[in-house]
Amino acid sequence: MRAVLTDVSSPLLWRYESRRVGVAAQAAPAAALAVTLLLTAFTANAGGSRADIERLLLTGLEAVVPLAVAVATVTVITRDRCRELHLALPVRYVTTLGRRLATLVGAAAATAVIYSAALVATGWWSGPAAPASPLVWVPPLLALGGLAMILTVVGRSVVLASSGVAATWLAQQLYAASLASHAGSRPFFLFLTSRYGTGEGWLLNRFALTVTGLCLLAVAVTALSRPGAAPGEEEQ
Amino acid sequence: MIRYEFLMQIRKRSLWISMGLLAVITVLGQGDAGPRYLPDDASARVVASSWAFLWSLLLPIVAGMVLADRLVRDDRLGVSRLLESLPTTATTRVMGRFLGALAATATPIFLATVIAGGAESISREDPAVLLWTPIAFGLVLLPGLVFVGAFAMVVPLLLTAPLFRVLFVGYWFWGNMLGPSYMPSLAGTLLTPVGDYTASWLLGERALYAGADGWLQLLRPEPNGVTAALSVALLLGVGLIPLLVGSRVLARRATA
Repeated sequence: MRAVLTDVSSPLLWRYESRRVGVAAQAAPAAALAVTLLLTAFTANAGGSRADIERLLLTGLEAVVPLAVAVATVTVITRDRCRELHLALPVRYVTTLGRRLATLVGAAAATAVIYSAALVATGWWSGPAAPASPLVWVPPLLALGGLAMILTVVGRSVVLASSGVAATWLAQQLYAASLASHAGSRPFFLFLTSRYGTGEGWLLNRFALTVTGLCLLAVAVTALSRPGAAPGEEEQ
Repeated sequence: MIRYEFLMQIRKRSLWISMGLLAVITVLGQGDAGPRYLPDDASARVVASSWAFLWSLLLPIVAGMVLADRLVRDDRLGVSRLLESLPTTATTRVMGRFLGALAATATPIFLATVIAGGAESISREDPAVLLWTPIAFGLVLLPGLVFVGAFAMVVPLLLTAPLFRVLFVGYWFWGNMLGPSYMPSLAGTLLTPVGDYTASWLLGERALYAGADGWLQLLRPEPNGVTAALSVALLLGVGLIPLLVGSRVLARRATA
């Protein structure tokens, strides 16, 4: 039993975890990017400038993919109906949850890499040099995903966590100018690449977002290690 | 059914906490153009409308998140078949749930509007602000809440709740706050649930993008009393469409 539950090289285990996460959650980043491409096509059709189109395409990667992963994270944590059973198994619940989130992030990463490669190949890429392209989406994904996890665990509510993530995302979009112009808030601005390019302070911003995301994840994992800490969809 | 749905929703702690936190953030982050910085001689109508419009920027997001699981949870809890056995039609069930849940979800927003109106009424020594508060709520906030609530309840039946929540946040930004000059957007049209037209009419100046040139020019008339009424009618009318679709979907599932 223990071998089956802990053999991370087993495709069966990953297939099972992937099914537990669900098609909808795993497809959310791809679906959100598809909507972004549709809006980009609208913009191009309406005579949008090349700069606007490139910025919009980059927004899909930097803003939309992290949002999709964050909201899907809330769902993955809260949808498990067998948590009590997990607590009786010889594998820590947080390990199982980690595997499930890995399948979610893996699907999002594959989507983001294919999307970035397609933009580079077609000449629509306006971000940093191609090898650094993951820096466009990984830091905001970690920061927003970490926020989603901590809000879900602490708030114990799908609504609270989803609303918190949504409000943070919208507030960063609405107050982009003031967040990017202040030295104190610029490192924590999620959408620096698509809004203001890779100029001054970009690397510091990516570093600060990554560290913030990892810290939030570490706190969430610590909190989840307590038995019964994770909320369910009806614990609202 | 409306009463039960209302009571079930109004007791949800997450509804009150989410609305409360977001209301505080909205007040603190309103900026120089916010209602807190209106001149002392601003009319009661302008003050009440400014607050209603400020709430309409972000609080409906929570409404959408809360309402997104009201119909899909029946399947999750395994009570769909039980509900289908009741002597009511699918339309009655959908409408009952919609009205009850929407009334409960709108209650914290209404309270926020009343509190802001009351505070302004006291600080400006003008009781008329409090009188204008429910009017501003009914015209600026309520049609958008009906529109958002109807889609939030029914679309997850077709897309699942997590996917709906992702797309809803993106839609809210694109369809309300993204300037129509940047890209084709529903922002500034009669179908803007943020209450742009009614707020512009009440304020006597453009609240956000109402009537600004852009995509679907036919839906971008100059904001005035008539077009504000048209916007309300359109939001309520289009909001009925998902409810009818939801009723059909549930009725079909019941007979499948």
